[in-house]
Amino acid sequence: MSLSFCFLGAISFGLLGSALKAAERRKANAAGLVVSAYAWAASLMLVRTLLLKPGGHVPTKVYAIAVIFGICAAVASLAFQVSISIGKVTVGWLMMNLSAAIPVVVSVWMYHEKLTLLKVVALGLVLVSIVFLFWGQVVEKRAARNPAGRG
Amino acid sequence: MWFLLMLMILLTNGMSAFGLKMIAGWGLPETVKYPYLTVWYAGGLVAIALPMLLKGMRLGKTELFWGGVAGALSIGGQIAMAVALSSGVPGHVVFPIAIGGSIFVVALAGRLIFGERMNPPTALGLALGFVGVVLVGLS
Repeated sequence: MSLSFCFLGAISFGLLGSALKAAERRKANAAGLVVSAYAWAASLMLVRTLLLKPGGHVPTKVYAIAVIFGICAAVASLAFQVSISIGKVTVGWLMMNLSAAIPVVVSVWMYHEKLTLLKVVALGLVLVSIVFLFWGQVVEKRAARNPAGRG
Repeated sequence: MWFLLMLMILLTNGMSAFGLKMIAGWGLPETVKYPYLTVWYAGGLVAIALPMLLKGMRLGKTELFWGGVAGALSIGGQIAMAVALSSGVPGHVVFPIAIGGSIFVVALAGRLIFGERMNPPTALGLALGFVGVVLVGLS
C-alpha cells in the first residue's frame, strides 16, 4: 500500500512533464507559464507556512539561499519550457532529472561525502548519457538539414 | 541554442535542490523547509516576472490554467512521496521509483501523444540516463 504512493508520485511527476508539453502545444508563453506555476506554488507554500506553530526562528541565511536557489530553479524551468518548443520533451525531462547528479558532485566536493562505487557508476552513466543525447541531437539536426541523405 | 538550454537545465536545476541539503547540514528543524520553499518559489517568481513586466507582457488564461495544472501535479507528486516516506518506505526505494517512473511516463506520452521519435543515439542516451538517474537515487 505504501509503495503505491511511490508510483502515484511517479505518475504525478510524469503527468507534470506531459502537461508542460501540452501547454507548449497550446502556444502558452514559456515565461508566463513559469510565473503562473511559481505563483500558485508560492501561494500554497505561504498558506502552509502560516499554518505552522508560531515561535520558530528562521535565520536570515536560510532566506538568502532560498532566493538564490529559487532563481536557479526558475531559470531551469524556463529553459526546460523553451527547450521543449525546439526539442523533445522526453530528452528535456530526462535532463531535468539527470541534474540530480550535480548535488551529488557538489556534496562530494563541499561536504567531503564518500565517493562510493555506486556513485561513480551512476555519475559515469549520467555523463555517457548526456554525450549520447547531444550526439542524437547533432544527428537529428544533420538529418533535418539534409532530408534526402542518411542521418 | 538547444545545447545551451540543456546545459542551463543541468546546472541550474541541479543546484536548485542544493539548498535543502545546506539546511540539513546546518542542523535546523524540519519545519524550516516551509518558509524556505515559500521564499524559494517567490524568488523564482520575481526573477521571471520582473523582466516580463518590463517588456509589458501579461499572463493569459492559457498560462494561468496550465500553470495551475503544473503546480497541482508538482505538489501532488511531492505529497505522494512524503506519504510514502512517512509510511516507512526508505528513500532509496521512493526516489528511484518516483523519478525513474516519471521519465517512463513522459517518454510514453512523448511517443504516444506527442509523436516523438528517437534516433539510435538519443534512444541509447535515454536508456543509459534512465539507469543513471535511478542509480543516483539509490546512492
